[in-house]
Formats: sequence, structure tokens, C-alpha cells
Amino acid sequence: MLELRLVQGSLLKKVLEAIRDLVNEANFDCSGTGFSLQAMDSSHVALVAMLLRAEGFEHYRCDRNLSMGMNLNNMAKMLRCAGNEDIITIKADDGSDTVTFMFESPKQDKIADFEMKLMDIDSEHLGIPDSEYQAIVRMPSAEFMRICKDLSSIGDTVVISVTKEGVKFSTSGEIGSANIVCRQNQTVDKPEEATLIEMQEPVSLTFALRYMNSFTKASTLSDQVTISLSSELPVVVEYKIAEMGYIRFYLAPKIEEDEEMKP
Amino acid sequence: MGIKVSTGDPSSLYLPLGFAGLTKLLADNAPKAMKEQKFESYFGRKIAVDASMSIYQFLVCCAVAQSSFLFSSSREDDSIGRTGMETLTNEAGEVTRYSKREDATKDLTEAVEEGDKDAIEKLSKRTVKVTRQHNDDCKRLLRLMGVPVVEAPSEAEAECAALCINDKVYAVASEDMDSLTFGAPRFLRHLMDPSSKKIPVMEFDVAKVLEELELTMDQFIDLCILCGCDYCESIKGVLYRFSFILRHTFCQFLHFLNVLPFETYIFLTPHLCLSVRYQIPEDWPYQEARRLFKEPDVTLDIPELKWTAPDEEGLISFLVKDNGFNEDRVTKAIEKIKSAKNKSSQGRLESFFKPVASTSAPLKRKETSEKTTKAAANKKTKGGGKKK
Repeated sequence: MLELRLVQGSLLKKVLEAIRDLVNEANFDCSGTGFSLQAMDSSHVALVAMLLRAEGFEHYRCDRNLSMGMNLNNMAKMLRCAGNEDIITIKADDGSDTVTFMFESPKQDKIADFEMKLMDIDSEHLGIPDSEYQAIVRMPSAEFMRICKDLSSIGDTVVISVTKEGVKFSTSGEIGSANIVCRQNQTVDKPEEATLIEMQEPVSLTFALRYMNSFTKASTLSDQVTISLSSELPVVVEYKIAEMGYIRFYLAPKIEEDEEMKP
Repeated sequence: MGIKVSTGDPSSLYLPLGFAGLTKLLADNAPKAMKEQKFESYFGRKIAVDASMSIYQFLVCCAVAQSSFLFSSSREDDSIGRTGMETLTNEAGEVTRYSKREDATKDLTEAVEEGDKDAIEKLSKRTVKVTRQHNDDCKRLLRLMGVPVVEAPSEAEAECAALCINDKVYAVASEDMDSLTFGAPRFLRHLMDPSSKKIPVMEFDVAKVLEELELTMDQFIDLCILCGCDYCESIKGVLYRFSFILRHTFCQFLHFLNVLPFETYIFLTPHLCLSVRYQIPEDWPYQEARRLFKEPDVTLDIPELKWTAPDEEGLISFLVKDNGFNEDRVTKAIEKIKSAKNKSSQGRLESFFKPVASTSAPLKRKETSEKTTKAAANKKTKGGGKKK
């Protein structure tokens, strides 16, 4: 038996819009800690990890750990039927092969039930260790989205380098090249517009812009985005979800030519 | 009693054995061992390819490009033309196989795609024969393209499987089921099909095959021998039996194959005796075949598998000057290889994060009794299952 009541139903809608570009089908896992999802894109280059903590739900009941395979496009279709102010409740019975989304209007004068078929999804779960990153950049999510969009009109890849001066995004393509530098900027009165850089050592990594662009679909969830970089690890692009969780995107870097390929 | 009866049309079970038969057998009895995968999911992986199929494709391509590659055509009937692959393997004798990367291969096949249809039509009434010259030409071409080539001491399937077992490559791609018999941990079919056909790649997992069929590797080898392999004739009726009769009985059957001559076995259990008319060829070297599968002649003493940039000048001189290809097409193909190389420098997440067992049981249940307990046993891996 599973029953999760989320007052801010629009969050779920936004989460879905943010990830369905990257993955088509995924298993939602439900445990005592919260409602989560981990999924990779089909080429296993990017991964999305989402968590909505149990505390963030008005009512959270999950009797045993469950995993529900859903087609995200179909789920999005259903959630689009919910109003932005609606309260969304996710319900599932043991042994059933469907999940029900219930939308209640804020005034409680309209209740809609949408039942969706679940699917068997055979997916690998990756263990992601907690690690120290060499550089962590926090910046306005709208700014990051703009940078990725602009650069992708010039080239396919972005080099993100963090130095003491700031964070530099650069690309080059057939028509030319581009460099965008963002400096540390702590605006006291507007914390959402701040750019913060914590750097242990300088780092520079190359990524495919296509994926970065799809990550920025999550900008609607949060004013700020955190980009964590280490030369040995995939980049983490994290958006907080209103005090109750996060959505994290991991992207494997491009590898230098002469470096050894794993079998 | 674990009886598994195939629901298919019985007449279809009298298929020629060998590959088609074994695939059907696995689909019926070990569905979990087969997985459809997207082509992209092999991105950045090293894959050993048994080149015989590709050589055939090259020949098809060459026929269209009117190159000077040799191919002998004779007015054989249609069916021989269609089984050109088998002809290749058998006639080439010591077949040379290559290991090469999917990207490059895909590009190649793509490059010849336009010509493909016509060529197949033209060639369908001919027998294509691979000569040593072809093999050497192909090796040279691949090396010029910067693709590593491994020459197998004897059987290429075995060599590919050995590369895979020893973690030199991620998987083996072939159209020949023998790869499984040689124990390649991951075996891919349809990887080399033209992308326009949109056939998903079929991934076979040997460990799961054995688990689901409840066989040991030795027994599985026997089963493959019974179904027909390159080394000795198949026994008619075996597959029919296996698809219809108890799995357990079959295991016994295999067991007895180990200790008794075939002829005597036929009378062992009533089940098997009744409808099977085994015809065991007089000279049936199954022990030899078994030995070949178990102890194949392979070499792991190979240079490191490394992909290099294509040798542009070399390619042009080889293809255009020596073999009369159209220069524009060759240049375009080289461009494709180059861009494919760039793409492949993208890392994969698995090289950073390792898979762990999932902690939750699927809500939608099919055959979960085992799975659930496994999942419960692994609970500690993630966040714990504490109640709020």
C-alpha cells in the first residue's frame, strides 16, 4: 500500500518535465525515506537522480520498499491534466499493476483520478559514492540555462574550467568560438542571483552540450543551480526542489584521445 | 515437474537446427537470457566482431563499386546465394576475423547502404567466395581505418569469446550462435545490421542461459553439438524433443551423453524413445567437437586494442588508386570515421559508478518470489527501509 500526498502538486509536474527529455522510462522507488528515481539515458552517458523526501509530503505512507516502472511521457500526459495549484496524491495497492494519480483542486470542489498502467523496466541501479569535489559553482539557474543554450548554437561541447578568477564556459565550432566567464558575485539583497565558487584546485572538463541543455529543463524548479566538478568524476548538476529534495544530473566527461578506453 | 511445452506451431520445430533452432530453444526456455538493446547503449564499448559477415558485406559493397576485389560468381541456385555466409565460413577454411569498433563499422555499412539493395539483388543468384586475397585486403583496409585487427589462430568465434572472457572487450558480436558455445559472456546479434533496418540488438547472457536451462557449461556445449555446429552434423529430432519434453529429462539425456554411446541411449527413457528417431551419423565426431569448444585454440598474446586515426592517404591510395573506388565517396567515408572517432571519446557512467542491486521490489509482479527476497537481502545498500 502506497499513498503520497503532495500539496505542491506543481513540483511533481516540473520534475517530470525536467527528466522526460533525458529518459523515456524509469523506475520510481518508494521507501521510508522518500520517493526517488534513478535512471540513465539510453547511451549511459548521463544519469538523473531525483529525491522527494518523505517529510515534504503532507501524508506519506509506504508499507514496504516498492519500485514502480513508468513511461515518463505517459505520466507527463496525465500530470498535465492537473492544475498548477492542485494537490497531487500518488496511490498504489500491493500486487496491482497500476498507479493512481489523484488531483484535488485547492478548494476541494473537484477531484480527478487518473490511473496509469505500470511496466516492467529492467534497469541497472548505479551506486554513487559521496565524494569531495575539486570545485563547486553555485549560480543562477536561468544564467546557466542561457549559457548552455547560447554555446550550443556555436559548438557541440563545452569546456567548463574553474579557476580563482571565476568559472569559464567555452566552446568552438565551425563558425568560430566562444568564451563566457562568470565571476564570483555575492549580491546580499538578492541571494538568488549570487554566483559562488568554492575551489580546492583548478579543474577543467569537457562535456557534451546536448545533455547540459536537457538538464537545464529543471531550471523551473529552482533559482539556483549547483555544478560540482572533479577531474576524476562525472559532473553533478543539481537543482534543489523546494526544501524537500533535489534533482541531480550526472554527466560523464569527454575523455582525452590518448586515454585508455575501458573494455 | 517443470514441464515446458512449446505453444508454437509444431511444424515450425522441424526447422533446420543450428542457429535458428537454438535461438528458438532459448526464447522458449530461457527468455531472461535474451535482452533487446538499443544500438546506442554499446556506445564507447569495445566489441569483438567476427568479421566473416562484414567481409561479405564488403564484397557486396565492392561489387557495386566495381572495384577489383575478386569475387567468383557461378550460376548456382538462389538458396546458395542466400547462404553465402555459410559458404564463406566453410570455404575460407582458416577464417580470419577481426576485432573492430562498432562506430567505424556502422559508418562503413552506412557508406555502402545505398548500394546494398541493388547489390543484394545482383548477388542473390551468385555465390560469393572469400579468398585469402579478400581477407588480406580487408585486414589492410581496417588497419588503414585505424581499427585493430586480431587474427585468430583457428576459430574466430573462439578467439572473440576468449577476448571477452578475459575482459579485453565488452562483448562479442556475431550472427553465429557458436559464440555462446565458446562461452562468450556477452553475445550480440544484429549489431552489424544496417541501421536503416532498425532491428534492435539482441544481447545474450551466457550465465543466464545456463541458469535458466539449468545446465552446466559442459551440458550446454553438448546441447549445442546436438543442435548442430560447424564441426559435426546435427542429430535430427533433438530440438523437437527439447521443445516439447521435460527439461529435466533432457538434462538426464545430456548427462548420459557423457557416459554412454549415443546408440544405446536411445532406449534409455520411454519418453525419449517413443517419438524420436535419432539418426546418428556413423562417423560423428562429437567428442572432437566437444574438445574444440572446451579447449579452443586461441591466443591472448595480442597487441593492445587501440584505435587510431584513419590513414587518409593510405586509404585513398588503397581504395581509389588500387581498387578504383570513387574518390568522393572514400573521402566522405573518411570524414564519417573521423567524426565517429570524436563521438566515441565520450565517457560512460559505468566507468565511474558501479551497478548495485536495487533495494525495492517491483510493484508490478510477474515472477518475483525470488527477486523480492534478493532485494530484501540487499536492503542495506540504499538509504535503509525505515518506517517514518
